[in-house]
Amino acid sequence: MNHIIEIKNLKKYFGDTRAVDNISFSVEEGDLFAFLGLNGAGKSTTINILVGVLKRDSGECFVNNLSVDDISKILPSIGIVFQSSVLDKNLSVYDNLRYRAMLYGMDKKEFEKNLKYFVDKLDLQPILKKQLDKLSGGQKRKVDIVRALLHKPKILILDEPTTGLDPKTRKLVWDMINEFRKNTNLTVLLTTHYMEEASIADDVVIIDGGKIVAQGSPLTLKNKFASDYIKAYKYDKKVLEILDKANIPYKKDKKHLEIKFKNTDDAKNFLVKNNTLFKDIEILKGSMDDVFLAVTGKDLKENV
Amino acid sequence: MNSQSELRKLTYLTFRNIKLYFKDKMTFLVSLITPIILLILFILFLKSTYEDSILSIVESFNLDQNLIDAFTGGWLFSSVLATSCITVAFCSGMMVIDKINKANVDFLVSPVKKSTLQISYVLANLFSTLIIAFSLLVIGMIYLACVGFYITFVDFLLIVFSIVITSLFGTILANIIWTFTRTQGVVSGVCTLVSALYGFICGAYIPINTMGEGVQGFVSLLPGTYATILFRQGFLNGVLDEMGKTLPAEMTTGIADGFDVNMSFFGYDVSTLGLILVISISTIVLLGIFLLINNLKKRQKI
Repeated sequence: MNHIIEIKNLKKYFGDTRAVDNISFSVEEGDLFAFLGLNGAGKSTTINILVGVLKRDSGECFVNNLSVDDISKILPSIGIVFQSSVLDKNLSVYDNLRYRAMLYGMDKKEFEKNLKYFVDKLDLQPILKKQLDKLSGGQKRKVDIVRALLHKPKILILDEPTTGLDPKTRKLVWDMINEFRKNTNLTVLLTTHYMEEASIADDVVIIDGGKIVAQGSPLTLKNKFASDYIKAYKYDKKVLEILDKANIPYKKDKKHLEIKFKNTDDAKNFLVKNNTLFKDIEILKGSMDDVFLAVTGKDLKENV
Repeated sequence: MNSQSELRKLTYLTFRNIKLYFKDKMTFLVSLITPIILLILFILFLKSTYEDSILSIVESFNLDQNLIDAFTGGWLFSSVLATSCITVAFCSGMMVIDKINKANVDFLVSPVKKSTLQISYVLANLFSTLIIAFSLLVIGMIYLACVGFYITFVDFLLIVFSIVITSLFGTILANIIWTFTRTQGVVSGVCTLVSALYGFICGAYIPINTMGEGVQGFVSLLPGTYATILFRQGFLNGVLDEMGKTLPAEMTTGIADGFDVNMSFFGYDVSTLGLILVISISTIVLLGIFLLINNLKKRQKI
């Protein structure tokens, strides 16, 4: 496996605040990598160091085997979508994309060719001549993503790309990104505090207070840190006695019974042993919310 | 990145900055209307005062009223133009707007040299100022054609040079300040301050001779004053030559001294070449400071 991004013992302090405190991780080429954490956890600081906007205090950062000290060689292979659009609101979509494309050394012919691909793919023709501030939130995000991908980067960095967007637009953004990932070997580095976005990643790093508190694939993290649940809709009352006797935690309401297990094996064994007592059930894997709560002690939904 | 590619980036960034500035048509109109209003106010409230001053000097000579009109008109318009080249330069920059809109972050993560980006701001700022200054010049020429036109081709070239060098001086000075500025409030404050002060401290609004001795000394230390005198010479040399056909040489020299067509630095006369050298060298020094600051800031970043 080729590590397209490698961070070793990275530190960045702002006075007494340890924004990034000795973190190390790597991103495989072609992966969707999620960097999960609350606001102020150190996600954006790490990204800013990676793209040369911020100076690091110590540690090493490599992109494509090049140190970030050599940032001018790294930047052509990176595309970034910021949390809010940084394009020129008073210029048309076409002008915005053209002026940004030229910064990557594209001539007009190459720009038109690359632009055509996105215009066809994303149906941009109707908005191409429109001024950016006349577009809807979803359309603007589309343009942001095209701006980030126009020079065909190897790495796409998405810094909380769907924050503040409605569910429909969030879906549109992800459909776009997944479409490009399918057709290219694009590596995506995503910072987010949306669990559903992190749960589709190949690899996840959870950062809290500048430190990495958990790392692995969503499945590994769920297996390690999240509980499994059996949700029973039709069951024999004897189940409750068994649960009380075995001291297994559960929640019961009028509609269903929810039994919490440490892991999948415990849930499976319980079912096998008591299968005659259940008639209608479903087994639920713990969510990334549970993982986050377990490793940070903080509820992401409450803190965002 | 080769230099040709960097030059192309510079060209596109400059175009982008100019386009953004003029995208809002009102910006251009307000930039143009403000000096025109100033000129109208000058004509309404100051013209007669300066006419009376000249008439008091030349009362025993039968000086053509057309020459007096041409002189006061040229004097007032040179004041407006000398001031506008600086004030427009301060108010037409894109650097801080990009910082406010975070577009600067987008450029920081793009493969473009920071020096290319900074120079593009200066160039765009300069071109925007020149577009407005030359539009003003056309209006001024029309005005002078109506009241009395005595500008020779050489004087016209001097005016063009004065516009370019003063705009460049103002642009670089403004961009040095904008390098340390991140908010629109500071921009507005600086623009207001420059608009209110510059005309006075560079000898554009009132003749330097009428100022106190200490102020005269202070004003003669400022490069902007030398630019103002260049404008005066461009607009008034021709009409003074024409006056010289009717008036004795001492009298035209007296008028030229009294109305800042001639420059004196603590008693020493400064020639036209001297004026050009002072403002040109000051501009080059400012450019050096600007590049040095940006180089130091760049080293701090990575």
